[in-house]
Amino acid sequence: MNFSPLNIILIGIAGLLGVGFYGLLITRNLIKVVMMLQILIKAVVLALVFAGKISGNLGLGQSTAATVIVADTIVAVVGLALAVQVRRRFGTLDVPQISTLKG
Amino acid sequence: MAGNLILLIIGIPWLGALVVWVIGDQRAKAQHILAVIFSLLSGIASLILLAFVDSQPAVNFTLGSAFGNLTFVPDGLAVTLTVIATVIGSLAVLFSVDYMRGEAQLGRYYFMVLFFIGAMAGLVLSGNLLFTFFFWEITAFCSYGLISFYSDDPKAVAGGIKALIITQVGGVGLLAGTLIAYANLDSFQISDVLANASVIPAAALSFMAFSFIIAAAAKSAQFPFHTWLPDAMEAPTPISALIHAATMVNAGIYLLARFYPAFASVPGWRTAVIIVGVISALITAFMALTATDLKRALAYSTVSQLGYMVYAIGAGGVLASQFHLLSHAVFKALLFLTAGSVIHAVGTRDMRRMGALSAKMPFARNVFIIGALALMGLPILNGFWSKELILEVGLEHSPRWAYILMLIGAGLTAFYTFRMTWMVFFGTQREELHVHETGTAMKVSLALLSIGTFTTWSFFGGLNKLFSASLPFHAMEEESTLEMVKAISFAPATWIALLVIALGLILFFTLGRKVALTESPRWLNSLTESSFGFESVNHFVVNTVSKFSESLRVTQTGQLNWNILGIIGALFIVLAVLLWGGA
Amino acid sequence: MESIEYFLLLTGAIFCAYRATVSKRILSSTLYLACISALTSVVIFMLGATQVAVMELSVGAGLVTVLMVYALSVVGEDALDPTSVIPKPLALGLVGTVTILLGWMVYPAIQVTIVSGDVDLASVLWQSRVLDVWIQIVLIFSGVMGVLGLLSERTPGHSEEVHA
Repeated sequence: MNFSPLNIILIGIAGLLGVGFYGLLITRNLIKVVMMLQILIKAVVLALVFAGKISGNLGLGQSTAATVIVADTIVAVVGLALAVQVRRRFGTLDVPQISTLKG
Repeated sequence: MAGNLILLIIGIPWLGALVVWVIGDQRAKAQHILAVIFSLLSGIASLILLAFVDSQPAVNFTLGSAFGNLTFVPDGLAVTLTVIATVIGSLAVLFSVDYMRGEAQLGRYYFMVLFFIGAMAGLVLSGNLLFTFFFWEITAFCSYGLISFYSDDPKAVAGGIKALIITQVGGVGLLAGTLIAYANLDSFQISDVLANASVIPAAALSFMAFSFIIAAAAKSAQFPFHTWLPDAMEAPTPISALIHAATMVNAGIYLLARFYPAFASVPGWRTAVIIVGVISALITAFMALTATDLKRALAYSTVSQLGYMVYAIGAGGVLASQFHLLSHAVFKALLFLTAGSVIHAVGTRDMRRMGALSAKMPFARNVFIIGALALMGLPILNGFWSKELILEVGLEHSPRWAYILMLIGAGLTAFYTFRMTWMVFFGTQREELHVHETGTAMKVSLALLSIGTFTTWSFFGGLNKLFSASLPFHAMEEESTLEMVKAISFAPATWIALLVIALGLILFFTLGRKVALTESPRWLNSLTESSFGFESVNHFVVNTVSKFSESLRVTQTGQLNWNILGIIGALFIVLAVLLWGGA
Repeated sequence: MESIEYFLLLTGAIFCAYRATVSKRILSSTLYLACISALTSVVIFMLGATQVAVMELSVGAGLVTVLMVYALSVVGEDALDPTSVIPKPLALGLVGTVTILLGWMVYPAIQVTIVSGDVDLASVLWQSRVLDVWIQIVLIFSGVMGVLGLLSERTPGHSEEVHA
C-alpha cells in the first residue's frame, strides 16, 4: 500500500464515515443526531466526487453530489424542526426519554 | 368473460368489506343490507362461473420471474369450492342479520367475513402456488379475527391465538412445499407441478408431499392438529358454520385433492393420508360422544367428517372426497346454523341444560333432524350418497383394517348424532329456559340449506362431468347420477354400512341412552378432554411460539441508539457476506 | 506533494468530526461541523469539482450552521449530551470493523490510473440528469415547509396530545 492521493482520500472517507457512525451510536441528544448525519453525508459527498474523479466522469459525480447536498440539507432542516418540536412537547431532547415506540 | 367473473367473485366481497367498514357502525341497518347484497352478488357470479369451467387459466397477469404469473384457473375442483364458499357464505351472512342484530362493531365483523369469502375463492381459484399461499394466510388471519371477535372474552382470544398458531404450522408446510417445487421446476404454476412431478427428484418430491400433508392436516384440523377446531367454537355461530365447517377447513382437503396426481406415486404418501384420515375420524367421533357443549360436539363431528374426506383421497377417491365435501358443507352449515338459532334462543351452549325443546322450536327441530340424518348417512339425504361413495372406494382401494375402522366410525357417527339431537330437542325438560322462535332471516337461510341437503346429491353427475372435463391430470371416469345411484344401491358396502349405522342406533336406544344422557364413563371423559393426549402436544406448540414471540419484545427497545446499532450491525453482516461470497 | 495536502486536510476533518462527537457543548460541536464542511469542500475543490465545492461550502458550512445555531437558541443550552446508552467499546468495535471492511473492499477498485476527459457539470445536470433537477426543486420546497416547522411558535394543541 502506497500513500498515493487516492489511497489517502479513501482512508479519509472511511474515517469520516466511521466517526459519524460512532457518533450516531453514542449520542443521546437529538440535535447531535442530526449533526452526526451531516458528518456521514459529508463523507458521502466526498465519496461521490471521488468516484466521479477515478471513473473519469467527474460531471456525473458532481451532479449526483449536488443532489445529495440538497437532499441532505432538507434532512437537516426537517430533523432540526422535529427536534425543536420534540423539545417543546416532551421538554427534553434526550433520546431514551422520548422513546414511546417501546414494544 | 370467465376472467372477469373470477375477478368479480374475489373483488366484490373485498369491495364490500371496505364499504361496510367505511360506512361505520352507527348505520347498522345499512351494514346488514350491504353485506347481504355484496355476498349474494359474489354467490351469483360464482354460479354463473359454473358455465365457464375450463382447464386453462382464465386470468393471467405477468408479474416477473420472482413471483411467476398470477393465474386463476376455473377448473371443476376450483369452481365447486368457490360456489360452496360464496353461496354458503352469503347464507351465513343472511343468517347473521338476525344473529348479530344489536351487536357492537358490526363493521369489523362483516369486514372479516367478506374479506374471508373473497380470499377463500381466491385460494381455490389461484393457479399460482405462491398466491395460493397468500390467500391461505388471509383466510387464517380472518379466521383468527373472527374467533377472537368477542375480544373481551379471554377464552375467545386464547382460541383465536391457538387457531392462528396451529394453522401457521400448516402455512409453513405449504410454503416449504411451494419453494421446493419452485427450486426444482422454476415455476409456481400448479399445472406445471402436476405435469412435471416426475422430473422432481424423488427425495424432494416426497418432502413436498409430506409437507403438504402437514399443511392440510393443520388447516383441516386433522390428527395431530385436531384440537384447535373445538376451541375455535368461541366464534359467533355463523362463523363456525361458514369458516369452521363449510369452507376454510376444506382448504386442506382441497390441497390434497389438487396434488393427488403428483403425489400418489410417492411411496408411503397414500398410506400416510389414510392413517391421518382414519385416526382423525375415529378419535374425534369418540370425543363427540362425550361432549356436552353443542357447538363443540358439532366441531368434533366436523373433524370426523373431514377425516372421511382425507381417507377418501388416500384411497384414491378424489371425486368421492369432493362429493362428500359438498354434502358436508351443506348439511354441516345447516346443523351449525340451526344450533346457532337454538343457542341464540335459549342463551346457553350446554346440552345438559337443554332438552324437550321440540315443542317450543318446531322449525329448528325439523331442520336439525334433516341435517342430523344427513350426518348419520341415512338415505336419501346427500350425506348418505357421498359417505357410501367414500366407503365403497375405501372397500376397493384401501387396506381392509382402514375400511373396518371407518365403518366403526360410521356407527359412532350415528350414535353421537342421535345423542346430540335427543339431548337438545327430546327427552325431559331439565331446566326452565326462556325460549323464542327463530327469526325470519334465519329461517330463510335454514330452509334453503335444508332443501340443499335433500337435493345436492343429484348434482353428482354434473360434478363428475365438470371434473373429468377440466382436470386433465386426475384421470376420472364419467359417471352420471343415475349410474351412481344404481351402483351404490346395489353395492354390498352400502348395506354393510347401513347395518353398522343401524347397529349404532340400536346401541343408543338399548344400553347407551341412559349412559349417554346422564354421565359418560370417567375414563372416556378424561381421555376425550385431553384429546387423547394430543391436547398437550398442541398446547406445547402454542406456548412455545407465544413465549418465543414474547421474548422478541426485548429487541423492540424503542431507543434510537440501539436501532442504529441494529442498522450498522446489518451493514456489517451484508459486508461480511459480500466479502465471504466474493472471495 | 499532493498527498501531504490531502493528508493534512482530511486529518483535520476527521479530528474535527471526532471533536464534534465527543464535545460536551453542542454549540462547539456546531462550529466543528462547519470546520469539517470547509475542509471537505477544499478537498472536493482540489479534486476538480469546483461547483460542488462551492455548494458544499455555502450550504454545509453556511446555511446548515446558521440553522443549527438558530435551533440551539430555540431549545436553549440544556442540550448537554449525557453518557451513551450503548457501551462505548461495543460501539467502537462494531464501527471499526465495518469501516475497515468497507475500506478493504473498496481498496482494489481505486487502484486505477485516472482517465481525464471530463464532461461539463452544466451539460450533465441539464441533460442526462435533468430528472434530478426536478427532484431537487421539489425537495427545496419541502425544505421550506421544514423551515416553517422549525420557526413555528405554536405549542402542540390538546388534540395532538401524545401518550408520553
